[in-house]
Amino acid sequence: MKRSIIRTLCFLSVALIVSLPMSAVAQDTIKIGATEPLSGTFKDIGERYLDGVKYAAKVINESGGLLGKKVEVVPIDSELKPDVATRKAQNLILKDDVKFFCGGTGSSVGAAMSQLAQRENVIMFTYGMAAATMTGAKCNKNFFRACANTDQQSYALAELIARNGYGKVAIIAQDYSFGQEALAAFKKKLARANPSAKIVAELYHPAGTKDYAPYISQIIAAKPDVIFTPNWGNDLTLLLKQGRPMGMSQKIFSYYINDLVTIQALGDDSLMIGNMGAEVYTLSIPTKKNEEFVARFYKDMGYYPTWLRGKAYLATMFWAEAVKKAGTTDVNAVIKAWEGLTYDGPAGLWTMRACDHQTQMPLWFTEIAKENKFFKHAFEVSAGMATAQSVEVPCEETGCPGLAK
Amino acid sequence: MKQKNNSYIGIIVLFLLGALMPFILKRYHLNMLTEIIIFALYAVSYNLLLGYAGLLSFGHAMFFGLGAFVAAVAITHIQGLTLLSAVIISFATTVIAGFLIGSLLLRHKGSYFALLTLAFNALFYAVATKWHSVTGGDDGLSISRPELNLGFTSLSVSSVSSFYYLILVVVGATILFCWYFTHTAMGKTVLLMRENEERMKFLGYNTNISRLILFTFTGALAGLAGAFYTLHFQFVSISAISIDMTTAVLLMVFIGGTGTFWGPILGAFVYIVFQNYLSNITDRWPLFMGIIFVFMVLYVPGGLSHTIMTIRQWFSGRKDNHGDGPIKVEETSS
Repeated sequence: MKRSIIRTLCFLSVALIVSLPMSAVAQDTIKIGATEPLSGTFKDIGERYLDGVKYAAKVINESGGLLGKKVEVVPIDSELKPDVATRKAQNLILKDDVKFFCGGTGSSVGAAMSQLAQRENVIMFTYGMAAATMTGAKCNKNFFRACANTDQQSYALAELIARNGYGKVAIIAQDYSFGQEALAAFKKKLARANPSAKIVAELYHPAGTKDYAPYISQIIAAKPDVIFTPNWGNDLTLLLKQGRPMGMSQKIFSYYINDLVTIQALGDDSLMIGNMGAEVYTLSIPTKKNEEFVARFYKDMGYYPTWLRGKAYLATMFWAEAVKKAGTTDVNAVIKAWEGLTYDGPAGLWTMRACDHQTQMPLWFTEIAKENKFFKHAFEVSAGMATAQSVEVPCEETGCPGLAK
Repeated sequence: MKQKNNSYIGIIVLFLLGALMPFILKRYHLNMLTEIIIFALYAVSYNLLLGYAGLLSFGHAMFFGLGAFVAAVAITHIQGLTLLSAVIISFATTVIAGFLIGSLLLRHKGSYFALLTLAFNALFYAVATKWHSVTGGDDGLSISRPELNLGFTSLSVSSVSSFYYLILVVVGATILFCWYFTHTAMGKTVLLMRENEERMKFLGYNTNISRLILFTFTGALAGLAGAFYTLHFQFVSISAISIDMTTAVLLMVFIGGTGTFWGPILGAFVYIVFQNYLSNITDRWPLFMGIIFVFMVLYVPGGLSHTIMTIRQWFSGRKDNHGDGPIKVEETSS
């Protein structure tokens, strides 16, 4: 008898100790959970995105907050694992009643978060997860994308290549869903924009390839005018590092060419100069609003809102506009308010399309040049833009069953 | 006899307390408690292997993950599947898998056995990663929790508290069955086999078969825990079948102690609570988990359960047969 009583008391006391410190003080804030990899290999990417979200919250709070409340960013270390991200997000929903989540790294995390958002009726939006299916076949009403998807980015670059009259194109990508989707969209658009253009080489390599020589010699043998690749990270730097000395001198058109970290890691401007990219946000966007934003960010933080930071900032501001329009933090009201909403920010006019929750926006071309406004080393200069209409994928072609009723 | 009665009273009190929890705890903590009970089953099943039979396996996650994936795949592909049918399907699959793998592995002992389990786990992990069309690969599988069909009525278990009750009853009863198992002749055989296998053979026991039954049984229990894990998170990814999941159960069992039946339950409790709090405070929580593990192995090899036993002995001032080192073979008169 004594034993069971002691045992029971033990369990009860531990349970009590556990529950005590968690009675958090209810604060009048709007919490937004940012799921990013904050440890591990992709820590650097996650931290830059988070930086952008935090800066957006700072700007909102300094101008009187959102609906009179302060915005609080809760970082969630996703470890780039969908199960970790959803588990932590679920806990935040249960514990603090968090209604808004965002994230930019890992389409696998995004897909799982999208499902969680639908189940728990919260909002998840992304500023970096690019897999087109997330607003296509897997779309749902609680998931929003405030950046370009693979279709839009491939469309923009195909348009740019067609516009410049290049006839022979070599394409190379990582052999997984992202790379395959990117090339498929590119081929589709190029065939429409310039029917006479030819794909002279189409290559797939495993993500994380170390030796590019076999692929590079195939590209060189095909004698293309230009090369298109959606590669990122090491797969982009190694392609350049190994390809240029072998004589692969063609211009490279790539999704993420304006990544400051890639350029600095390469440490050799000659590898990068002349390459072109297309993104929803670049430092060199020639609008007055962007110049003001860059100047203010630089004054506050001491560095530039390059690439990921800018993308995360813009998406968070767009979300804030939706909450403002809804006038409440009620999830259904915010969803309704965000559908069809336009946001006139530093990167032009953004519209959240109701049929699939994919933002329609212009994409900005950049070219890497020695002389630029921002750094001593080579960096991007503006090279025009693709209008939102020119990169639009019609609602019927997305594969999304249609969200707006 | 008196001792046994006390245990029954203890169990009933625990269940009653468990039934009261939804009225005391907030949803967040109730959710955590559900997770703890599921992992307690996983840890108990592992301790039956490690603590009772002395078999060190590095592949327990393959059963956990298999159970988790089979449940998710069944729910995704079979329309209108009820919750218990999904659990039964995944239980049956892990029984078969446990039997097949066990019959391949169990002729080996010690480190050979440990390394072979590790290899099999790696095989299962590779299949889960590469078989994208079924397992979802890196993306994992999202499901929605089906209804609980009891034959005469359907209950929704979508809310935190109703699912908690389901877990408390079903998983609690399974853990109770494990406890009962350790008191059966089969359970005793396992213990005696660990102590002196040669002697058991001379007494006429087929130790290979006994070990195979135990391996299949613990595998199926881990699979059951995996199925409920899927139902709890409504999501399963390759993490569930990775070596991390084996490490997790090793940590739980070591923290709680292999010396008692209830040690791993305590270990699961401490592990889940720590994981939740530490990962809120720091991104480097696995580092602290590692430090705790090293500390436990070096200074408290008997685990928390051993420490608690020692403290209790110290208070009551009497010698107890339980609680130090591996589980003791009890002297029974029955």
